[in-house]
Amino acid sequence: MRLIHLKLAARNVRRQPHRTIALGGAVAFSALVMALILGFVNGMDLAIQNNVTLYSGGHVLVSGYTASQSGRLQNRFTDDTVVKIVESTKADILTVSPIAQSRATVVFGTREIQLMLRGVDWSRDQLYHESLILTEGDWKGLEDSRTMLMSGQTAERFGLAAGDRVIVRLSTASGQQNVTDYKVAAIYDDRAAGGMNTAFVAFGDLAADLNMKSNEQQQIAVFLNNSAAAEEAAQAIAAGLSAQGFAVSRGSASNDGALGAATPQDASIIPDAFQATGGTQGGANRRLAPGTAVYRISTVQELAGEIGAALGSIRWIGYAVFALMLLGSATGISNSYHMVLLERTKEIGMLRCIGYKKKDIFSSFVWEGILLAGGAALVGIVLALPIGFGIGLIPFDPHGDFGAALVQGHLRFAPTLGQFLLILVFVTTVAIAAVFVPARRAADVVPVEALRKTA
Amino acid sequence: MANKRSMNMKLLNARLTSKLSIVLFGLVLVFSAEAQSGPSRGGGGDPMGGIDLPPGFLEQNKDYKFPDDITKYTATDFLMLVRRTDIRSSFYNSDMSATISMVTVSPDRGTKTFKQQIFRRDKDDAFLMITLEPESRKGQGMLRVDNNMWRYDPTSRKFTHTTIKDTYENSTVTNNDFRRWQRSIDYSVEKISSGTLGNYNVIIGELKANNDEVPFPYIKMYIEADRKIVLKVEEYSLSMKLLRTAYYTQYVQIGDSFVPTVQIFQDGLIPEKRSQTTYTNISTKPLPDYYFTKEYLERVSQ
Repeated sequence: MRLIHLKLAARNVRRQPHRTIALGGAVAFSALVMALILGFVNGMDLAIQNNVTLYSGGHVLVSGYTASQSGRLQNRFTDDTVVKIVESTKADILTVSPIAQSRATVVFGTREIQLMLRGVDWSRDQLYHESLILTEGDWKGLEDSRTMLMSGQTAERFGLAAGDRVIVRLSTASGQQNVTDYKVAAIYDDRAAGGMNTAFVAFGDLAADLNMKSNEQQQIAVFLNNSAAAEEAAQAIAAGLSAQGFAVSRGSASNDGALGAATPQDASIIPDAFQATGGTQGGANRRLAPGTAVYRISTVQELAGEIGAALGSIRWIGYAVFALMLLGSATGISNSYHMVLLERTKEIGMLRCIGYKKKDIFSSFVWEGILLAGGAALVGIVLALPIGFGIGLIPFDPHGDFGAALVQGHLRFAPTLGQFLLILVFVTTVAIAAVFVPARRAADVVPVEALRKTA
Repeated sequence: MANKRSMNMKLLNARLTSKLSIVLFGLVLVFSAEAQSGPSRGGGGDPMGGIDLPPGFLEQNKDYKFPDDITKYTATDFLMLVRRTDIRSSFYNSDMSATISMVTVSPDRGTKTFKQQIFRRDKDDAFLMITLEPESRKGQGMLRVDNNMWRYDPTSRKFTHTTIKDTYENSTVTNNDFRRWQRSIDYSVEKISSGTLGNYNVIIGELKANNDEVPFPYIKMYIEADRKIVLKVEEYSLSMKLLRTAYYTQYVQIGDSFVPTVQIFQDGLIPEKRSQTTYTNISTKPLPDYYFTKEYLERVSQ
């Protein structure tokens, strides 16, 4: 590349500001839209992962199921070795804590609501202490026995305040009905937690309600320093458990983890080896020998999968819109440069007469396209930043369909530099392709012929 | 000579093979015809693998001599009485079909009415229930067979697994209430007393579940001694809180069975929440085996 090409291209871009603005505006708008879409989808992806982490209680979940006397799987296990293996796994683990959960009916007066009740070991918890914003009560109050942390949404529906007592009806780990009561010690802002309405109680209290023995657990929640390492950690835990002879399966079921406690009849949690040998009946009613324990390991990415799938569609719609806009812009650029070619035929002839070669003319045209489209894309990307962050200030309904993709009731705009570079490269490549034919024609102009025609 | 013998052997082998083929072909024809003849007619078919009754469940109770004086009932007598009510409210010698009208009242959800058609085969602990009303729920079904329970939604055409412990339409009725009674299998007697319930002399028994998979760990039964029918059952949680009270206010005698045709279920935590189920058009005609299949439920729901 010679500097003269760039200088010539820059001069030509500046020569007709109206056309440059029209063409550049179209390109900039395409880049702006794409930057916004990618930034928001990225932000929603992160928000979903964070919210699912809140829903599930950790980045990696190890759920244990033990076959009862009748062979039905119950969501509980007793083996301490499992916890030790998880703790000794070579992963970047921050905390390992037991979790118990149950779908419960909370009754207050004549009103009732079904929600997920989660038992958390508050002494080992970091996740909820750091993530949840309390609007009433405090964390200290939750250290008392039989106290509950309730979502703002549920409290509002019931007209509850900190200090009120509620009745909780739930099924024990074996499926028996149980009724207990709790005092609401604190209320958290569910808008800041993706619209989650899970109620939290002390692990020991819920374990007692679920009629679990002191050495029994339902799930182990592993909280990592970096959620992106969840899959690696899950694989390491699965390998560690398998090596010790535990029956392990991977993946999330639709009704497990964040989305609800697995029913004892859920056959998908039974590892393949057991399905082949241990089953006494087919279908969902597969039974195992009493006392047999099976484990399932799921990651926050897997749990977020279903919600995240919707984001995939948005991303693809964004790509389609971007492609259409680029196509429109490319057509515009191509047409404009055909016009430019006609307007500058005499000039091209002159340049050729004073010694410019074909490739110089070609290069100046291509560089003009690159400067125009690249500059416009850059402007679009820069404009996307205040617009994206501005949209991020608009409050949305955290309990709506996309509540799980919001952060404190707001969309998060989280583009990456890589995405911006990708947009820049795409736009520039399309611009080169669009300018290519007019540039070739300009290069092929015969100087004498050009001067004669335009004389 | 050797060749001739060899030829004879080959001929014999060929004849034997052809005869064996004919026999096998005949067997195949017989089994194919059997397979294509469709399911055997109601009640008489082989059990479909439901929960087996304990040995002698029906026979032992038939000639059991209950004390004349209700104050003299022992725990064994009371358990046999519960078993009698289990047997008499069920249809072990025939199938059963009926129309169920249900009214549910809830402070949150208001009053709702439902109408269902139920088909029961108690000896296999199987039932099929199809919603007839309201229009929005029409065609939804529930099937219990082989210890599995499925809910079918004709809109999505999907079966979802459910359990007998689940409540029906967020009411006070559980799926278990549509099934045969088997309290004498699930519970053992802890304490008995006598008293009155309205105008009736009743024996009151406090029962505890035999295993931890029974939904209600404790129940209290009020059984009318004369007619040997259950009038009221209180169901308690593990923490001994009253969860639900069931009232069986009307019975109809069909053959040897006493069917509770009007059942009222009142929530123990929210007393304003209650449901009433009424059984009408009860029939004991045999039902085809295919009634208790997912394919039939799918077909009939359309």
